[in-house]
Amino acid sequence: MSDETRETRIEAQNPLSASQKNPEKTSHIKSLIWGGVVTLIILAFLPVPLFTTNLSFMFYMMLWLTMATSFNFVAGMAGYMPFGYVAFYGIGAYATGVLYKTFGLPIPIALAGAAAAGVAIGLLLAPTLRLKGVYFGIVSLALAMAMKLIISLMPAKITGGSLGLILSGANDPTMAYYAMFIVLLGALAAGTWLSMSRLGIALRAIRDDREAAEVVGVNVVRTRLKAWVMATMFPSLVGGVEAWYTNAIDLESSFNLLVTAKSIVYAMAGGLGFLVGPIVGASALYGIDQLIWRHFPTLNLLILGVVIIALMLLLPRGIVGAFAQRFSRFRRFIP
Amino acid sequence: MLKVDQLVKTFGGMTALAGISLTVPDRSILGVLGMNGSGKTTMLNCINGIYEATAGEISLDGVSLIGKAPHAVFSEGVGRTFQVPRIFPQMSLLENLAVALLNKGLSNAQVAEISAHWLNKVELYRLRHNYAEELSGGQQKLLELARIMVANPKLVLLDEPFAGVNPSLALLLIGIIREMPQEVGCSVMLVSHDLTSVYELSDNILVMHEGHVLAEGNAEAIQKNPDVIEAYLGA
Amino acid sequence: MNELLLQGLVNGIVVGLIYALIGVSLNVIFGVLRVVNFAHGEFIVLGAYGAYFAQQLLGLSPLLAMPLVFLVFGLIGYGLYFLLVQRLSRSNDPEHASLLVMFGLSLVLGALMLLAFEADSRSLNFSLEPPFLMFGNVILPTTKLLGLGVSVVITGCLAYFLYRTMPGKALRAIIMNRDAIQIVGVDLNHLSALTFGLGLGLAGITGIIVSMIFPSFSPFIGQDYTLIGFIVIVLGGLGHPIGAVAGGILFGLAEQTAMVFFSGTVAMLLGFVLLIAVILIRPAGLFGVQNLR
Ligand SMILES: Nc1ncnc2c1ncn2[C@@H]1O[C@H](COP(=O)(O)OP(=O)(O)O)[C@@H](O)[C@H]1O
Ligand SMILES: [Mg+2]
Repeated sequence: MSDETRETRIEAQNPLSASQKNPEKTSHIKSLIWGGVVTLIILAFLPVPLFTTNLSFMFYMMLWLTMATSFNFVAGMAGYMPFGYVAFYGIGAYATGVLYKTFGLPIPIALAGAAAAGVAIGLLLAPTLRLKGVYFGIVSLALAMAMKLIISLMPAKITGGSLGLILSGANDPTMAYYAMFIVLLGALAAGTWLSMSRLGIALRAIRDDREAAEVVGVNVVRTRLKAWVMATMFPSLVGGVEAWYTNAIDLESSFNLLVTAKSIVYAMAGGLGFLVGPIVGASALYGIDQLIWRHFPTLNLLILGVVIIALMLLLPRGIVGAFAQRFSRFRRFIP
Repeated sequence: MLKVDQLVKTFGGMTALAGISLTVPDRSILGVLGMNGSGKTTMLNCINGIYEATAGEISLDGVSLIGKAPHAVFSEGVGRTFQVPRIFPQMSLLENLAVALLNKGLSNAQVAEISAHWLNKVELYRLRHNYAEELSGGQQKLLELARIMVANPKLVLLDEPFAGVNPSLALLLIGIIREMPQEVGCSVMLVSHDLTSVYELSDNILVMHEGHVLAEGNAEAIQKNPDVIEAYLGA
Repeated sequence: MNELLLQGLVNGIVVGLIYALIGVSLNVIFGVLRVVNFAHGEFIVLGAYGAYFAQQLLGLSPLLAMPLVFLVFGLIGYGLYFLLVQRLSRSNDPEHASLLVMFGLSLVLGALMLLAFEADSRSLNFSLEPPFLMFGNVILPTTKLLGLGVSVVITGCLAYFLYRTMPGKALRAIIMNRDAIQIVGVDLNHLSALTFGLGLGLAGITGIIVSMIFPSFSPFIGQDYTLIGFIVIVLGGLGHPIGAVAGGILFGLAEQTAMVFFSGTVAMLLGFVLLIAVILIRPAGLFGVQNLR
């Protein structure tokens, strides 16, 4: 494309954009939209236990909203694709189970322990943050599988061995539901903070062009480490709360690669890099996923795979991203 | 003052820089000419820490830059632009500039003021909330320049600033570069193919050829230098 | 104890060469196309099923099935390139996009195999006379020896192709410098599609060797092979064909000797420890070039 044509394009388009006259309004509208979305989420999930005892559908919806949102911290804001994301979920579940069952600690402390364990493992894996692109992704996957092996090698007295752990006595679905609610709010708050803070700006700069960010003074390793630690805490908490909700933990489901897969699909279907992306994606696809799961369990994986391929080929920027691209003058209003 | 002494850079068996020495005095513009592949970009990459120099010394005001990571070199006051502009496409122009000011300990108001000043200078202020990828190639080069200028650098390294820029933007760019030494107080290393603008802007000119310094001097001397005429301007 | 160790080392070389084949084909694909083939393991398992059905339906021995499977998989790869891979090169982040597409493909193939072949594991009806050879106290099943021989021959052919023939040299040229090759005027699309076909063809053959050597296979083990392949190429250096051979043999030796002294789980874990060690000491892999970091 020649410079001339591009310049005329910009010239022609700019007078059209409404915000041009009062650009400071932009960020105001953006915050309003985001505030509305968060309010909607609170209203949708807060009163559910008052109406029904069948919390499962909404519980897992919050779970995927949280997983996709925090996946967005690493993938959308820091530009990593951690295929081993499930490791933190599994570690959270096991930390909760072991602390509660084996060491007899109360659930809230066990959950705090889960978050701490996730962050600790995240810090342990920090050297891999030096790796570039897909290289990071596949190493992260290998390390997740290594975590699973390590837990399977631990004495059955602690981890329950191949039978897993049953958290009898902790059964309180309503409390677990609200725990997940709080974790979700925490993830939304963290996302809000990230998008406004200087850390968020540095992260997005790295995602857009790592070398250029370095050249204008961004310490890439340190910046990414911060986002990484934030992003490891939430899946660990989610894994822990899910363990509490179901009262059962086992290796296969705690370290199932599908946990990563769904986090990726939901976040990407919505649009990585936008706060609302994972929310739109998870809301749009979660219901469909549940329907398929209930009626055609064997087709679930097949369809998940097809959805991933179709998304990447047809809608690589996700629903929100595609909208932003198509209606570029509204893009600045999208949180 | 930037001082480069016997800088060597090899890639495997290939020598891209075979002992380059130069100085850029404060508040001056050094033009760097040379054919494609003569090592100009490689030299900039060594100075700002993207490449590790194989041998030699680089220092700015007596502080050695050897072994420093790019972000640390930037903190020492060295800004640089790229041959193909490297802006942050998915961020607004204001955010693009904010990245360079993250570690300066400035208040939001100060950041806004400095950013507004430089966006005005490169005539992009009215587009400040647009995403950088919406800019034309030439505008992206201007944004890239503004992005390093907000940090008030001591030295800026410009890699082919006029390549792919249309004539009117090039004029704007030339105006900004010309006043850098006096108004901003920084020195400039201007790598370019564009002979006329280099001759016009530079206090001193260096001609590189296959990793060596072929000639050095003012515009007049360079134009008369027989080696340059033979190797660069073509006989 | 010494015989056991020796046995482990011999097994390590046999298994290591299979791993090497997995790694080389992954690396050829990655090197040329910048595509990390997450579905590689599924194609390996499909290759094993190919041998199985060639035997059941056509009465072909696995060795004779090899050229057939290579050809069929090669054609599939050639087609898949245009269907899935080609358009990814225009995305903002082609490497991640391709990784995700291939991940999706791996889920699809795994599910399809499960639907088509059911979950139970199969094994090839394949034996040789005599069933094994004894070297001192080391037992060597002849099927393993044959698998070893085939792996060596195929690795050799591949090395000859990459280092001695024109198309092979062109492939390596792309691996080393993708921009330069466009200037020279090679039909990048055609060559890329051929490469993808070559990679999948090799995966198919690897699957046949796997079915000859290991007692059984099932739709579930694809991801294990993918993971092994990933470890191998990270060990050897991403995009480096010879590095993958070294990485594969190293990993095979470590795994099989550990198997002698500990359990299979520990052996697998050792592979991961090796991986972490290499990342920390030489982030670009044993043979990799620096800029992969
Ligand atoms: N990362 C690299 N690896 C190998 N060779 C390189 C690398 N960067 C530059 N070169 C080589 O160094 C030489 C000088 O290149 P460059 O500095 O880009 O030239 P210029 O900017 O003067 O056109 C060229 O031959 C180029 O191929
Ligand atoms: Mg250059």
